[in-house]
Amino acid sequence: MNHSLEKRAVDAELARNGNSETVRAKLLPEKRALLWALLFGAASLGGALLMASPIQKMSTWPFFTGASSSGIAVSPQLLAQGAGFFAQSCGDCHGDDGHGDEGPDLHNLAISDARIASQIKNGTKGEMPSFAKKYHDPEISALVAYVRTLR
Amino acid sequence: MSIDPTLWPKLHGASTHFPVALAMAAALFEGLGALWPNSSPRKAQLHAAGYFTIILGALGTFPAVLSGLFMTKGRVLGHDAELFHHLFVWPAFALLVGLGVWRALVGEKASPRGFSIYLTVLLITAGLMAGAGYWGGELILNS
Repeated sequence: MNHSLEKRAVDAELARNGNSETVRAKLLPEKRALLWALLFGAASLGGALLMASPIQKMSTWPFFTGASSSGIAVSPQLLAQGAGFFAQSCGDCHGDDGHGDEGPDLHNLAISDARIASQIKNGTKGEMPSFAKKYHDPEISALVAYVRTLR
Repeated sequence: MSIDPTLWPKLHGASTHFPVALAMAAALFEGLGALWPNSSPRKAQLHAAGYFTIILGALGTFPAVLSGLFMTKGRVLGHDAELFHHLFVWPAFALLVGLGVWRALVGEKASPRGFSIYLTVLLITAGLMAGAGYWGGELILNS
């Protein structure tokens, strides 16, 4: 840490054990600590990156997506309808594939269905228009269902 | 039954500030401790504060990273602001854990050279954490 701390520690140990080589070896475990540090750092990073794939799979479970919370029955027709609305009103800003353009990427949104619906209805001043006049609740539900498929 | 999909963003937001703040605080304490005169007892106190903050900071990275992985549904890079956030986060995470382990094992027994290297890496890590925090904030503001 610094000269004085090291010196104090070495002096205290020397008072108990006269062999300065032993004392130095005992008091300066830096290289061993470095090995452990590298090991833990790499293992933590590797572990986190390895966990990404199982988490990706788990996140499609209804328990994690919260998809059942909206109560929307998702049918192929509803999704097709939502895709049509998306291409018509959302693709210009969010990209035809929803990966974002002028507006943000809509893949893997970590917000509830209700929040997505509210965003479509009300928009954000200066950033996104309100679609409340263009789409009513059933159409917005179709849009939400489609946006949920963007993963 | 399902969990609230806003749970992960909330947990990530709540947990992520601890490692960011603690890494920067550790760099500050250790840096001041290194500059403080040897004769002052404050020097040892600053190093002790740096010791505990880096260990707590390293421990704090785990809930932050885990909640972040769940929040992004396992995405490790992403696009735009999220990509920049992750490019700062991943090296900072590994370095912070490594620094915490090194500091915990070495304690007060570091050599001047060893401590100088530790402090340099700590300053780089604090900078990376600040970058990760900045891009994380950009993600929130732009979403």
